[in-house]
Amino acid sequence: MNVKGTVAIWYRDMLVLKRSIWSEMIAVIATPLTFYLAFGVGMRRYIGLVDGISYSLFIAPGLITMTAVLAAYNESVWSLWFHRRVQFTIESYRVTPVTVSEIVIAKIFSGFSHGLIKGLMVAITIFIITPFKFEPLNLLLYILFLIPGSAIFTCIGVIGGTMLDKPETIGRVEAVFIMPLIFMSGLFFPLSSYPANVIPIISWLPTTALFEGSRQALVHGNFIFPFVLNLYITAIILFTAAVLTFRRRLTE
Amino acid sequence: MNYAIKTEAISKQYGTLKALNSLDLTVERGSIFGLLGPNGAGKTTLIRILTTLMNPTSGKAFIEGLDVTTQGREVRKLIGVVSQENSLDRYLTARENLELPARLHSMEKRVYKQRIDELLELMELSDRQKDFPDTFSGGMQRRLVVARALVNNPKILFLDEPTTGLDPQTRRALWKYVRSLTGDMTIFLTTHYLEEAEQLCNQIAIIDHGRLIALGSSEELKTELAGEAVYDIELGRDVNVFAEKLEQMESVCQVKINDNLLSIKLKEWNAISETLDILKGAEIKKISLRERSLEDVYIALTGKEVRG
Ligand SMILES: Nc1ncnc2c1ncn2[C@@H]1O[C@H](COP(=O)(O)OP(=O)(O)O)[C@@H](O)[C@H]1O
Ligand SMILES: [Mg+2]
Repeated sequence: MNVKGTVAIWYRDMLVLKRSIWSEMIAVIATPLTFYLAFGVGMRRYIGLVDGISYSLFIAPGLITMTAVLAAYNESVWSLWFHRRVQFTIESYRVTPVTVSEIVIAKIFSGFSHGLIKGLMVAITIFIITPFKFEPLNLLLYILFLIPGSAIFTCIGVIGGTMLDKPETIGRVEAVFIMPLIFMSGLFFPLSSYPANVIPIISWLPTTALFEGSRQALVHGNFIFPFVLNLYITAIILFTAAVLTFRRRLTE
Repeated sequence: MNYAIKTEAISKQYGTLKALNSLDLTVERGSIFGLLGPNGAGKTTLIRILTTLMNPTSGKAFIEGLDVTTQGREVRKLIGVVSQENSLDRYLTARENLELPARLHSMEKRVYKQRIDELLELMELSDRQKDFPDTFSGGMQRRLVVARALVNNPKILFLDEPTTGLDPQTRRALWKYVRSLTGDMTIFLTTHYLEEAEQLCNQIAIIDHGRLIALGSSEELKTELAGEAVYDIELGRDVNVFAEKLEQMESVCQVKINDNLLSIKLKEWNAISETLDILKGAEIKKISLRERSLEDVYIALTGKEVRG
């Protein structure tokens, strides 16, 4: 493994991100902030307490997580598609001594970095405008969820961007797969809203582990180990799948 | 081993389509080798195999003695590639477009900084190095791609249709840059312009449907392509008399007699009209063109593409 090559590609992606960070920031913060203001603040009187906490506090961790994982997913899926199908830059990397595995690992790190950076931006914004104070330890536990979460969505993005050649298909996958997965995993409502016989199944979903687990960590300081384990195992499986998919697709 | 590139019965199949059909080529070190053929002939496919982007279905290929299928990384250290599409990164400046491959080649910063300065100078892009390539003209973008392929000081430079889509003036200007690169470097370029191959290459291979149909220096091919042709003419009588007359003609290189059949070899296939003048008064029973000249072959395969 030639780490230099991987770092060079990751560095390129970060350089490009740095150039557009301020204009991207507005777009990145707009969506979760809208949700936060509309549901958390606007609906406050109608919703009351959820799982014993105010609704705006209930959704805040999920909105940060959502921003991070969507940013990771979007960066990966579009970047892979764009560099492979539009700009052919992947091909220009491939005629240098780097290997396809080194390229895809760089791309996974880039998507992951996008997720963390953008998640952080939203976190800071929400922390500034809300009266809640989170314990430093809770924040640390929360990050233990955010890392595999971003990694999982990056890898899904890499697989999508490697397999899908048409941009409209990428849009459809997001609409019918990614968004439902995020919205149905306890971002806006507690898992207890599901019928009792569905709950055991839902709890196995990595997205549930992510949204429920990260909220428990940030708000209550609860560290739910099975959720963390679920996330790290899923991340490792998807990382392997992403590398193999990319390698397979690119060797003709 | 005195060759830079060698292919042994290389074949590539896409489904049922044979894009390369048992191609054997040898490219000498330090030469400019031109692979000439119409669209769809298999040129890009061959370049993709030689640059390790794709595996052949069968056969072997070597770059400086290294097997492209098993020693990919070693091969890629030695090559520079200008692909058919520009593949420039529009989010990076011209200079950054050169820095990234330098880093991918694990070059030291101090070394590549100087190399990039030289290349920008050579390609006359120094004053635009901080600009993004989508503000460049087609010719400038192409020059930047060539510069990018040269960053690692490659032993072999591959150029896939380097001037397709450029106007004639820009094309000529690019030829000038390519010519200035000769030295130790071997250049392998593909083109569907006969003129480009003639102008730039010491060795030219003509391929179509993945098969090699002609190989030689530009001079050799030019005489061949100009077209020798053998006509078979059957006469009713006086075969020897006409044979003697034909033998004295400038455009006839050979006359053979076989009973009533005269086989004449013409330097140019279209010299047949002069020949027919000589044959006035003869009892011609039949005339047929025996061999297709390379020109015919070339036109048949390149069609309207010939000479751009
Ligand atoms: N990835 C592919 N899948 C299927 N057919 C292909 C593929 N790439 C090229 N071909 C076909 O192989 C033939 C040779 O293509 P190519 O090597 O690109 O020719 P050239 O570069 O000489 O124009 C063409 O008929 C082309 O349509
Ligand atoms: Mg081509």
